[in-house]
Amino acid sequence: MRAGRSAFTTGLWAFPLATAGLAVLSLYRESLGLQVSHLSLLTLVLIGTIQATSWNILSGFSGYFSFGQAAYLGTGAYTTAVLYGRHGVSFYLTIAVAAGLCAVLALAIGGLAFRLRSLRGEIFALLTLAVPFILGALARTSRAIDGGQGIPLAVPSFPAQIGLFQDFLYLVSLLVAAGAVWAAFAIIYSRSGWALAAIRDAENVAEGLGVATFQYKLLALVASAVIGGVGGSVFALYIGFVTVESVFNLNFPLFVIVMSVLGGRTHWLGPVIGAILVVLLQNRLASSHFESWQLIILGGILAILIAVAPDGLMSGVRRRPWPVLGVLLGTTLILWLARAPGQPLDWILIGMLVAAAVAVWPGRRRRAQSIAPAEPVDVEPSSPRSSAPATAGSPPFVSTPTGAPASASPTSESTPLTPAAPQATPAAPATAAVLVECRKVARYFGGVHALEDVTLRIHEREIVGLVGPNGSGKTTLISLLCGSLRPTRGHILVAGHDTRALAPHRVAHAGIARTYQIPQPFASMTVRDNVAMAVMFGRVPSRLTQARARAEQHMELVGLGHLAGALPSALNLHQRQLLEIARALAAEPKVLLLDEALAGLNPAEIDSAVEVVRRVHRAGTAIVIVEHLLRVVNQLATRVVVLDRGTVLADGAPRTVMSDPAVIQAYLGRSGARA
Amino acid sequence: MAGPAVHGSDHRRWSFMKFLQAALTGMLLGGLHALMAAGLSLSWGVLRIINLTHFGLILIGAYLTFQIASSWHIDPILTLVVTVPALFAAGAVLQWGFDRLAVTELNSLLLSFGLLVVMVQAVSNIWTADFQQMTTDVNPYATGSLSVGRLVFPSTTLIAFALSVVIIGGGHQALHRTFIGRALRAFAMDRTVAAAFGIDHRRISILVAGIAGGSAAVAGMLFALSTALTPFTAFEWFGIVFAVVILGGIGNVVGTLLAGLLVGALSSLASVIHSPATEPFVVFSLIVVALLVRPQGLFARAGGH
Repeated sequence: MRAGRSAFTTGLWAFPLATAGLAVLSLYRESLGLQVSHLSLLTLVLIGTIQATSWNILSGFSGYFSFGQAAYLGTGAYTTAVLYGRHGVSFYLTIAVAAGLCAVLALAIGGLAFRLRSLRGEIFALLTLAVPFILGALARTSRAIDGGQGIPLAVPSFPAQIGLFQDFLYLVSLLVAAGAVWAAFAIIYSRSGWALAAIRDAENVAEGLGVATFQYKLLALVASAVIGGVGGSVFALYIGFVTVESVFNLNFPLFVIVMSVLGGRTHWLGPVIGAILVVLLQNRLASSHFESWQLIILGGILAILIAVAPDGLMSGVRRRPWPVLGVLLGTTLILWLARAPGQPLDWILIGMLVAAAVAVWPGRRRRAQSIAPAEPVDVEPSSPRSSAPATAGSPPFVSTPTGAPASASPTSESTPLTPAAPQATPAAPATAAVLVECRKVARYFGGVHALEDVTLRIHEREIVGLVGPNGSGKTTLISLLCGSLRPTRGHILVAGHDTRALAPHRVAHAGIARTYQIPQPFASMTVRDNVAMAVMFGRVPSRLTQARARAEQHMELVGLGHLAGALPSALNLHQRQLLEIARALAAEPKVLLLDEALAGLNPAEIDSAVEVVRRVHRAGTAIVIVEHLLRVVNQLATRVVVLDRGTVLADGAPRTVMSDPAVIQAYLGRSGARA
Repeated sequence: MAGPAVHGSDHRRWSFMKFLQAALTGMLLGGLHALMAAGLSLSWGVLRIINLTHFGLILIGAYLTFQIASSWHIDPILTLVVTVPALFAAGAVLQWGFDRLAVTELNSLLLSFGLLVVMVQAVSNIWTADFQQMTTDVNPYATGSLSVGRLVFPSTTLIAFALSVVIIGGGHQALHRTFIGRALRAFAMDRTVAAAFGIDHRRISILVAGIAGGSAAVAGMLFALSTALTPFTAFEWFGIVFAVVILGGIGNVVGTLLAGLLVGALSSLASVIHSPATEPFVVFSLIVVALLVRPQGLFARAGGH
C-alpha cells in the first residue's frame, strides 16, 4: 500500500515541480494558446480536488463516512462572504479565519461524536448529514450571517502582473489544492496514515495495540475541516455571490463523494483523478444540453462503482499503469487524428473513460480475493460463543451434562481432570511481582451479571489457564483486563495503574495485549506490516523501518517468517491465529491474553501452537490463556483459574484445581449433587 | 423540513391552547414520520441495509398517487391499489440487487445514496421541479377538518395519523404473532443460526424489503394528500426520519411510533415557541442526547438488539 521513505522524499521535490508546472499554464497562458474558459474549467477541477481531498482524509483514510462536506464548504464560504463581502476585511485574512472556524467546528463535532463509545460508522455518517442542514438554517435566519438574500463578493485586489481575475482565481485554487493534496500525502506516509488505515480495518484491535484512536480520528477530522473551509473561501470567490442554496446543498456532498470513490478512497491521488473526470464529464454534459441528466449519471456512477469497483480507479491504475496511460493517450490521439466530431475536450473525456474502463476491468485479480474470507465462518460452530453479552443469557452448561470442553477434546475424556504428567513447576507467587490485580471486579450488561466479585492476581512468569463453561465470563474478563470494557464495580490494576483512569490504548502501553477469538487482521496491510503496526505504536514509539525489522523477529518466533509479504486474506485460520499472537507480542506486553487462540485447529496445529506459546513464555512474558481444551491447559498452565457463572470457582495449581469437587461438578453437571 | 402547519407565531401572547394545539398537531404529523421511519428501521435492523432509496420510494409513491388521482379522477386513497403492489415490487427488486452484490452496511449507505439521487432527479425530470398538488375536486380530504373545542385538526393529518398507527400496529402484531414474523426476528438476531434452522434469508429479505416498499407507498400517498410535492423534499425528510429511527431503536417498529410522536411534538413546540428555524436544532440535539444516554434507542428494551 505505502512504499516507504523513498516515495516520501520523491514527493518532496515532485510536489513543488508539479505545482510550478501547473502555474505556468496561467502565467504563460497567452503564449500557450490556452483559452480563459479552459482555465476556468481547470479552476473547477482544482476546487473539486480540494473538497474531495478534504473528504478523503477523513472518510477515505479512516473509514468514517461523512455526508457533511457542505458544512465546511459553507462555513468557509460564509466566513469570507461576511467578513470580506460585507465588512471589507482582507480576503487573505478571511481564509485564515475560515480555517480556524472550521477547525473549531470539527473539534466540536469530533469531540462529541468520537467520545461516544457506541458510535458506529453509520451513525456518524447520519450525524454529519444533519450538520449542513443546521448550519444552513442558521445562516438563512440569522441577519448577521445572511438573512436570506445572499451576499455578493467583489473582486479582491491582487498583483497586476498576474493578469485577469480568472488567472488569479486559478493560482489561488492551485496553491490551496496543492497544499491539500500535499497534506493528504504527508498524512498517509506518516504514522497517522498507518494509524488511520488500522482504524479503518479494525478499530478495536488498533486501540488494543496502543493506537490513540480518538486522537488520530480527531486529527483527520480537523485536517479535513481546515482544508474544506479554506476551499470554501476560494469557492465563495469563484461563485461571486454566496447563498445558502449554493453552499449548503446536498448535491455538493454527492459530487465530492463520487470524485473520491471514483478515484480511490485509500490513495492520496484518488480524489485528484476523480475530480478531473467528474468535472470534465459535468462540463461536457452541460455543453451538450444534458444538464437534467447530470445528477442521474453521477448518482448512477456512484451506485455502480460501489457495487463493481469499490476500490476506485487508483488501485486499477497502480495495477496496470502503462496500459491505462497508453489507452488514454492512444484513444485521444486516434480521435484527434481521425478528426472525430466534437472538441478536443470531448476526445480527452472519451480517452479517460476508456482508460477508466481498462483500470477497473476485473482481470485475474478476482480469484485470489474470493477464496480466503469465507474461512472464519467455518470456525464459528466449533469455537464456543463465549463472547460475553450475547451468550450470558443463553442456557449455561447445566443443560449439556457432558460439558462442551470435555467433548471437544478426546484425550481429556479418558483422564478427564488430571493434569498430564510432565508439569511445568508452578511459579512461586509469593516471590514474583504482581503484574495485574483484579479487586472485587463486577461487570453487568443491562440485567445480565457477566462477572461478579472477581478477585485475582497475575504474577510475572506465570501461565494462567482461564477455564470455565460457556457463558462463565472468560471473554468478558479478558476485555476488562485489556481495558476495552470498564468494570461496573471494583478495580483492575495494571502495573499499579487503575484501568479506569487509563484510555484503552494506554492500557496497552501499561503492558497488556490480547488476541481475538476470531482473528481480526488489518486487511489492507501485509503480515509484516500487521506486526510492525504493533511495534510502531507500542510503549516506545518507533519508526517504520525499525518496526519492520523488529516485526521479523516476532514473526520468526511464531513461525510466520515465510509469509511476511502476504496479505491476511491469503492466510489460513491457523496462520491467522499465529498472526494474532505475533501482533500481540509485538506490543511487547508484560501480560499476553490469549482468547481461545487455538480454537478450531487440528491436533497437529494445536501442538505447534502450544510450542509457540511455550517459546513466548520462555522469552519472559506472563500469559493468560482462555482455552476449552483441558489437555492444552494442563500442558501449559502453571496455575488454573476456573470461572463459573461470573465468579471465581477455584484458583490454584492445576493438579489441585482439577480435582476440586466443585470444579468437577461445574464441568460434568450438577445432577449428582443437586437431584 | 416538512414543517407542521402552525400559524400565528407572530403574536407572542402566551396561550396554553396554542401550545396544546401545536403539540397535538406535531404528534399527529409524527405518526406519518414514524411510518416513513418504520420501513427504514426494519431494513436497517433486519437486513443490515441502510436503504436511502426508501425516501425515493416514498417520493415516487407520492407522485404516483398525485398522477393517478389527477388523471383518472379517483379517490387518492384508492390509488393504493396500484401503488402498494408497484412499490412492493420495487423494494423487492432493489433488495434482490443488494443481496446479489453482498454490500456491507456502510457501502449500502453510499450505494443507495447514489440510487436516491437518480430517483429524485428522474422524478424531477418527469414531473418538473415545481410544486405539484392535487386539486380540491380530486382530493376531497384537502379542505375538511375536525374541531374539538378550540382545537382544530385538518382531516388529512388525522387520516395520515390513523393509517400510520394502524399499519405500524399491524406490523408489530405480525412480527410477534405470525410464523414469518418470528422467523424474521430470529433472522435479525443471528443470521447464521437462523439459517441453520432452515430460514431462507433471500426470501425473507425480499419479503421484508417488499413490505417496506409497500409502507413507502402508503406514506407517499399520505404526503400527496396533505402537502404540495417537490422532488427535493426527499432530502429534507432525512433529518427528522433518521432522528425517529435512531431514537426509536434501530429495527424496533413500535419504538419508531413512540419516537415519531415525541419528535413531532417537540419540534412543533419549538417552532411555535421560537421559530421554525429551531426545528433542526431540536431534532439534532435529540439524536445526540439519545446517543449519549441510550445508544440502543430511547424505546428499546434493555438487552434488546
